Amino acid sequence: MATAMAATAAERAVLEEEFRWLLHDEVHAVLRQLQDILKEASLRFTLSGTGTEGPAKQENFILGSCGTDQVKGVLTLQGDALSQADVNLKMPRNNQPLHLAFREDKQWKLQQIQDARNHVSQAIYLLTNRDASYQFKTGAEVLKLMDAVMLQLIRARNRLTTPATLTLPEIAASGLTRMFAPALPSDLLVNVYINLNKLCLTVYQLHVLQPNSTKNFRPAGGAVLHSPGAMFEWGSQRLEVSHVHKVECVIPWLNDALVFFTVSLQLCQQLKDKISVFSSYWSYRPF
Amino acid sequence: MRSSMQAVALWGIKAPPHSITAIMITDDQQTVVTGSQEGQLCLWNLSPELKISAKELLFGHSTAVTCLARARDFSKQPYVVSAAENGEMCIWNVTNGQCVEKATLPYRHTAICYYHCAFRMTGEGWLLCCGEYQDVLIIDAKTLAVVHTFTSFQSPDWINCMCILHSTRIQDSLLVVSVTGELKVWDLSSSINSIQEKQDVYEKESKSLDSLNCKTIRFCPYTERLLLVVFSKCWKVYDYCDFSLLWTEVSRSGQFFTGGEVLAAHRIIIWTEDGHSYIYQLLNSGLSKSIYPADGRVLKETIYPHLLCSTSVQENKSLPFVMGYMNERKEPFYKVLFSGEVSGRITLWHIPDVPVSKFDGSPREIPISTTWTLQDNFDKHQTMSQNIIDHLSGFKDGVGTAVVTSSAYVPSLDKLICGCEDGRIFITQALNAAKAGLLEGGSLLKDSLSHKVLIGHYQSVTSLLYPHGLSSKLDQTWMVSGDQDSCVILWDIFTEQILHKFSLEAGPVTSLLMSPENFRLRGDQIICCVCSDRSVALLHLEGKCCLLRAQKHLFPVRMIKWHPVENFLIVGCADDSVYIWEIETGTLERHETGERARIILNCCDDSHFLKPGSILPVVTEIQKHKIVEQRSLSSSYLGPMPSPGLQVESSRKVADAKSFPRPFNVLPVKTKWSDIGFHILLFDLENLVELLLPTPISDADSSNSFYGSEILRRAKSTVEKKTLTLKRNKTACGPLSGESQTKSVSETPVQEDNTVKFPEENDGIKRHKKMKSSKKMHPKPLRKVDANLLIDTAKLLLSCLLPWGVDKELDNLCIMHLNILKLQGPISLGLASNEDHFSLMLPGWDLCNADMKKDYLRVNLFSRKVLDLSNKYTATLPNQGVTSRGLENNCDSLQETNAIVYILNRLFLVSKLVNMPLELACGIDSSFKGMESVHNKVKNPGNDVLNISSFYGYLRNGKNEHHISEADLSLLKLVSCWRDQSVQLHLAANSIFLEMMRKERRKFLEAKIEKVGEHYHRDTDDPITAFFHTPVSLVKHDSNSNSANFQDAEDMPDRCVLEESEHPGKLRHHSWIMKVCSCKVC
Repeated sequence: MATAMAATAAERAVLEEEFRWLLHDEVHAVLRQLQDILKEASLRFTLSGTGTEGPAKQENFILGSCGTDQVKGVLTLQGDALSQADVNLKMPRNNQPLHLAFREDKQWKLQQIQDARNHVSQAIYLLTNRDASYQFKTGAEVLKLMDAVMLQLIRARNRLTTPATLTLPEIAASGLTRMFAPALPSDLLVNVYINLNKLCLTVYQLHVLQPNSTKNFRPAGGAVLHSPGAMFEWGSQRLEVSHVHKVECVIPWLNDALVFFTVSLQLCQQLKDKISVFSSYWSYRPF
Repeated sequence: MRSSMQAVALWGIKAPPHSITAIMITDDQQTVVTGSQEGQLCLWNLSPELKISAKELLFGHSTAVTCLARARDFSKQPYVVSAAENGEMCIWNVTNGQCVEKATLPYRHTAICYYHCAFRMTGEGWLLCCGEYQDVLIIDAKTLAVVHTFTSFQSPDWINCMCILHSTRIQDSLLVVSVTGELKVWDLSSSINSIQEKQDVYEKESKSLDSLNCKTIRFCPYTERLLLVVFSKCWKVYDYCDFSLLWTEVSRSGQFFTGGEVLAAHRIIIWTEDGHSYIYQLLNSGLSKSIYPADGRVLKETIYPHLLCSTSVQENKSLPFVMGYMNERKEPFYKVLFSGEVSGRITLWHIPDVPVSKFDGSPREIPISTTWTLQDNFDKHQTMSQNIIDHLSGFKDGVGTAVVTSSAYVPSLDKLICGCEDGRIFITQALNAAKAGLLEGGSLLKDSLSHKVLIGHYQSVTSLLYPHGLSSKLDQTWMVSGDQDSCVILWDIFTEQILHKFSLEAGPVTSLLMSPENFRLRGDQIICCVCSDRSVALLHLEGKCCLLRAQKHLFPVRMIKWHPVENFLIVGCADDSVYIWEIETGTLERHETGERARIILNCCDDSHFLKPGSILPVVTEIQKHKIVEQRSLSSSYLGPMPSPGLQVESSRKVADAKSFPRPFNVLPVKTKWSDIGFHILLFDLENLVELLLPTPISDADSSNSFYGSEILRRAKSTVEKKTLTLKRNKTACGPLSGESQTKSVSETPVQEDNTVKFPEENDGIKRHKKMKSSKKMHPKPLRKVDANLLIDTAKLLLSCLLPWGVDKELDNLCIMHLNILKLQGPISLGLASNEDHFSLMLPGWDLCNADMKKDYLRVNLFSRKVLDLSNKYTATLPNQGVTSRGLENNCDSLQETNAIVYILNRLFLVSKLVNMPLELACGIDSSFKGMESVHNKVKNPGNDVLNISSFYGYLRNGKNEHHISEADLSLLKLVSCWRDQSVQLHLAANSIFLEMMRKERRKFLEAKIEKVGEHYHRDTDDPITAFFHTPVSLVKHDSNSNSANFQDAEDMPDRCVLEESEHPGKLRHHSWIMKVCSCKVC
């Protein structure tokens, strides 16, 4: 490989020309493409704030698990909020099914979807400011823009792929427990979250640990999904999880969005690589 | 970086990159604060004539700074809060660059507002934050802990921007606009109580503004009516009373608004992303609100804007600009519009009080007042921006200096290895190179400076690794370097030969790492080479072969981990995915993303890892082995712990395996986004004193018998000191729980054993060292620090600390007798606030203070305050009139050493006191009284007195016990009161040093007088005094005192009083004494 030192003036001129083409044409072409992909992704999230399409449309998701049918639920998603919920529980003790439903007046925001949507719109905003009329002067400028965009995209993706790890008292204290119309029985905890492209609902059945119990009380730490036997203190009581039911349902548009994130991240990285090839040539330029 | 560490930065001719992401001007209009994408903050001095000059660079954040805000009532405490991408928050004192408080929260803020309501709030007030999370977070301005949140009832979402409405007519409110364009209003003053009781506080109003990407919201305090909301594509004016829209102005195509401010009643300024700004007059259309349509439709004709003035930047722009506007109506202040660019340029416009358009009604252009960059500072102050090896390459070529692209420091050999842009690698003695760069007369040093040049690379050297420094088992002649052309060379640094050349053909080598101690392949450790084509190569040095080429990574490599048991190489990438490679077979074992990848990376936490590509890991790397020691240091004050001596010793042993803690260290620093690096010289004052103290002992064996007796005394007091601290440990556990008490009691015998052993051990080491240093001609470099190096280090440190040029005679005294050299120019000192927050002065910092502008003679005076402090120091010392006089020996190098050790010891004591944690300081303050009254060393149990006495033991090695004078007591007092006033360490050191030299000169004068008169017999307790007795002639000191008098008289009147002086009466004291003295002599 010929070193830059040895490069002749003609070679240098060609490289300069190539680099200029990269900055003036190729970068904008990639940015255009990125913007299209991200706009497509953000459409999936149906921005409710634009107000042009009116209220976001409602989608119903039937949640189930392949193993048991002890818990069945229908959750209604409206944009980034759960507007309705219908959960049927078959309690193992008595065969009387338990029915849980949301209050009419309240919606439950799915923070993960909201954050992902906001990160995408931030990324789009970063890109719209650099339309075709804008001229990039240095490669570093492009790298910085790409870094900023990638940061938003990685965050958006991470919000969906990594649900919050909560402790049981945190779940008990969350507003979700207050969302149900006949109030949630005291021996039940409910948590809803997004994991990758799936909407997940977990129901924890609890029983009270007797104060004179011989069991060694050890409060459980934070987790996405607690297993039976996890203990915690709530109010003055010590409780233990006896049963865990997890049901889930794939949200198709979340899947699309994740694919869009991955594709655009790769596009960003490729653009960065193209710029970096020239790094030895523009390192002498004044910033 | 530890606080007892003194740091000096050698910058080089190129300024580090500083891409401004946040900018603000402090309320006193004296400082511009900028935050950068690289994570550093920069403080710029703003003169009354609106001239800018960079002052200090603050290190602390590891990711880009997102926002800056004031964190206190600025007239009381000059504190600024900064927040970074990764959730770090820091509060900085902008007058001295110290980090006051830090926290890392899982929130990324984009805007912060300070709110304080004096009569309803206790504490320092709140920081109201918004960013990439729902609603508004309330953070305590003092502790940086989350207090509560302002929650939204309707459509909670991220908040884009906010402002605090503060007026006499309306109660304090918080106005915010969310990402979806929802305007929300919370009551502030009335909800303080509910917030403190952690009750939910919901918004008072919520209204959709029908626009996205809100940038700024401002309330007009002059009309108390208008509300300015700036969106990226338009700006709007609302009526605050009913939130009715009064006007919408849409931007031109391709133009994005980023902010705005209300200048005066009906006058606003709007600025754009490309650095332009527009001042509008809002004219009333004549239609009054009374004829507002009843159906609630917006009446657009109520006001309309008229463009008065505009500002612009003429140069080629690089987006985005961060702008702000400062409105000051008070007289000495200006109305300033300021902007910061990604390129690091700051631009200021002075906005006239009444902006008017041209006569023909067309907008007038307001000219730029000032513009400045970091590089301007570096260009202007060339002498200060010396790179550590500039002179080397300089006299090699004659023209042009080599740009250092990578460097490594080998502590065990005191060698600095620098790779340059042109492919050459320089190897030189670090201390000598530093001296040649910093000191006057360095040209002599330059010629004698030995250095080697390794030629083998043809492109810029991007990374260097000295394997022996990481593992003692590897050959200490080896050095590995990688270049832009993906060529890795294994060198023998002693013979300057190329042992092997690896050609990887994988793009520039970004970093070279070594496998940890516990990871071995075929019995040897291996080198890991990360290339910029995202591949990782494993090199086996002994076998001179490449073991593995891992090339499937889609994103840049961020982290390398090793799994010793199963022989896996774990590669973490920028997209949070993980690749696991089997080293033996070279196959990709697994590829994981998301949650599982995180678990894999976390589970092998104990194994070695390093993040290439950021600056801070380098710093923390150094800290890591320091931290052990630091902990032991602080623990010696705090709880029932084993005796400090033992701890230090053991931690040294731990560190020994990796690298010996040294009094002198060079830290190469590289910044993000560029190859440009600079060097920081680190002086460990404590270590230096520790190592230097016993040196005279071993040296003294050969010298006269007096020193022999002194050794005994000194050794005794060392033991005494240990036992004293031990006693204190016992007593200190009194108030603690019984459990710990019994524990400590059970431990006590062991401790006792150790403390007895310690001095012997110590001595052993020293003897060992001496023995080694005696055979200095040995070709193999020594692992232990040799004595000459120590003294040289100490001298360089003293050169850096002395305020040169304050008094010419004093300078000469130092040059002649301490044998230290004058500085070439002002140096850039560093100041550490804690382990990972520190500030570095920039070239040209010395011209920031207006009062020092014309004083070019004073080379290294940090500020006027130094003189002030040193005077105070003298004033507090009781004028004993007692002079101690020393042996009339010939002035030899031993005495010189003694003098240096004494000074360092003093400085160390002062630095200790200045940096002492506050709660401890209280203990000391209270113990002063006990000290004074009892005046002996019997302590009340549980009191912290012993703490001090151990200091005394330290300080007064070889001094008589009864000699605990008021002088030292008052020094302690004075210095602890400096600490309360947060005087910086270097200021204190500088002034103490100055005064010590002055004192010595005076003592010397007085001694001469006494010589004429009577003869007193006293022990020498001041080596310095002893030392100053001998050489100076009578004629000379006469002129000395005159100049000193003159000096003092000059200094008195124009003292800049930054703090209230405590001893106004005593200030002139010593100059008066001096007058008397000189009269007598005459």
